[in-house]
Amino acid sequence: MRSGLIGVVILREWRTRVFKRSFLLGTLLTPLLGVGLIALTVLLTQDAVSHHIVLVEDAPGLITRLDSASGQFVPRCPGCFPERSRLEYRFVQVAPEDSVWKGDGYSVLVEYDESVLQNQAGHLVYDRSPGMIAKRNIERDLSRAMEHARVMASTDLDWESYQRLKFDLHLVDREVDSGGGRDQAGGEEVRGMVGFMFSAILFLILAVYGGLIMRSVVEEKSNRVVEVLIAAVRPEELLLGKVIGMGAVALTQLLSWSVLTTAAFTAFQLLFDSGALAGAGAAPGPGEVSADLLTVMSENEFTSILLDINWGLMAVSTMAFFVGGYLLYGSLYAAVGASVQSEQEGQGMVIPIILPLMFSYIIGSGAMENPEMNVLGILSWIPLTSPVIMLVRVAVGVPLWELALSWLLLLVTARLVLWIAGRAYRHGVLAGSSTSGWKLLLQWMRGHGG
Amino acid sequence: MTHALRISGLRKAYGKQQVLDGVGFDVPKGAILGLLGPNGAGKSTLIRIIMGIVDPDAGTMELNGSSWSREAVRSIGYLPEERGLYRDMTVGEQAIYFARLKGMTRIDAVRELKAWFDMLEVDGWWTKKVSDISKGMAQKIQFICTVVHKPSLLILDEPLSGFDPINARRIIEIVRTLADSGTTILLSTHDMPSVERLCDQVVLLDHGRVVLSGEADELRETGWSGEQEIVFRGNDIGFANALGAAAHLDGIEADLTKGARRARVRLRNPEEAGSVLKDLGEAVDILEFVKVRPTMESLFIDAVERAAGQTELAP
Repeated sequence: MRSGLIGVVILREWRTRVFKRSFLLGTLLTPLLGVGLIALTVLLTQDAVSHHIVLVEDAPGLITRLDSASGQFVPRCPGCFPERSRLEYRFVQVAPEDSVWKGDGYSVLVEYDESVLQNQAGHLVYDRSPGMIAKRNIERDLSRAMEHARVMASTDLDWESYQRLKFDLHLVDREVDSGGGRDQAGGEEVRGMVGFMFSAILFLILAVYGGLIMRSVVEEKSNRVVEVLIAAVRPEELLLGKVIGMGAVALTQLLSWSVLTTAAFTAFQLLFDSGALAGAGAAPGPGEVSADLLTVMSENEFTSILLDINWGLMAVSTMAFFVGGYLLYGSLYAAVGASVQSEQEGQGMVIPIILPLMFSYIIGSGAMENPEMNVLGILSWIPLTSPVIMLVRVAVGVPLWELALSWLLLLVTARLVLWIAGRAYRHGVLAGSSTSGWKLLLQWMRGHGG
Repeated sequence: MTHALRISGLRKAYGKQQVLDGVGFDVPKGAILGLLGPNGAGKSTLIRIIMGIVDPDAGTMELNGSSWSREAVRSIGYLPEERGLYRDMTVGEQAIYFARLKGMTRIDAVRELKAWFDMLEVDGWWTKKVSDISKGMAQKIQFICTVVHKPSLLILDEPLSGFDPINARRIIEIVRTLADSGTTILLSTHDMPSVERLCDQVVLLDHGRVVLSGEADELRETGWSGEQEIVFRGNDIGFANALGAAAHLDGIEADLTKGARRARVRLRNPEEAGSVLKDLGEAVDILEFVKVRPTMESLFIDAVERAAGQTELAP
């Protein structure tokens, strides 16, 4: 192999694609759209962490009493309403008209009647939803206060004794490690989801850039450039240059996305935290206070997942398995491209190649529900499926030696496939015959045929 | 004599089809060798084998006195019959790419390419995409990409296809100039006038075999069958009588520029040209007595027909 020549081929593949308008647009717009979606999610859901003053209409007088000193209704169980950063309570026995309490700065009204202890239901009245988290906290606080009322009404126990007798079992995850010790565990589902996100990205890149390699090979055949190329460069060198060049394009895009996403997210975070976005639908309502972006995200079910990601480890693993998986699948796509006369014909032939990828993707999606299923372990050893599957396992937790061995196995297989594909490529790119297909491809791989 | 290319006993079959059957010839350094043959004779396969694109089944090749090697092939300038360019690259970047694959540095490539672009008047197209240029323009770019690295051996497969007559003449002139400066050229073409004008040597392939080879002048001399053109002043009947049985008279017509008669004859015995001239001189005034040698086209057709006849006669 002549590295200088391969370098020239790599540079052409890289330059002609990276400096294309479509590539630049895709590279710039994708992270902006991604961060834009996160920003939109935050902006649209941040009401969930707005400051709410809740008016509780305790008509049956179950949980409140009139404080003679202040002349206000106060909870019978003050401890049932812990201090919350974005939630305050006021209590009345008869609430004014909706327009009145809204005008008084309350954002939510809770009302119930005497049947609440039996049917455990009341109403949450608002003109703008307080959001899931605020609602859950209100339900939790009022349930505790009702529970207090029930205990007081139906047992001889005082509240403290009841609290002491009450029993809530909480199971903390512990995982037995290889050395016989125990490690802290838990959160596998979330980590499985993170791993799946990365494996899905890798699946897309392998499929998209594999398709680009195939298209490039078919193009060189159809525009007759290949005969001049093969006279100067060995087919194996040309194939390697093409695969690496296209891989460099993919890496450029991945790195650009990483940098631009970080920059766009940081810019959004600075704007959000400075309150500059307050006018864009993020304005705190009456009685609301602003919160910083990370707090907002951590209290949102979707965006909080993003904060749980170990980006560094995932990025390194993604790059490593991208390289191996890309060499493997890129070679296969190139061999198919060499064996067909048109892109349409190639689309049909890549189905058997894309099946293992699709299979990995589907199994990987199952990891969100059950991240430690046995099949993940098996598929992470098979080079055709390991690039996608191993990323799920990395997120959930995998011994380092398994990770390294699986990657080495992938690299060795990729090198072998590259060699076989080189043989097919050599015969395929120069075949003028209109016949093509798997049978012919297998003949070429064995080194037979024209 | 040293040879730029020596081919010996080259054989190649695709399945049961024997495409090359023991082909062998030499290309002297600095010569322009015309590789001729009807369609399917094996010319392109032979060129592809020389270029290392296709492996031969048997036979040997030497390049500049050394055994054939892939590294040596890189120095050959090769213009294939089926050629193309990347449509999504600019003309200049594309030419640089091909030059760099041939071992040139980017700086050298740019310098040489600019000179060639200037010479072939395509310098204004450097930054254009191939999809924006005409077919003739693309042909010029391909030719430049073939010669830019100053190859000592140039293999041109139908180099004039796609060129208009003016540009075709220009390419012929450039090829001639390259040969004069020492470049060896293997020219595969069906364009017989360019073979007549350019080629010092000719190899004619048919059904994978060399059916005719040698120096172009020698072949035409050998292929002469006694045809003469005679310009004379005098009586046609006297001319015909003087010719007698020594030659067959194909026809006589007026030569208005010379104010004379122009006859075309075929000598029954080409070696008796001298005595025929003497007899004619006694009957009419001979102004010109010119040997009409066969054209490359007629030699080509004769050789192919002869080869076909031998094949039919073979048991």
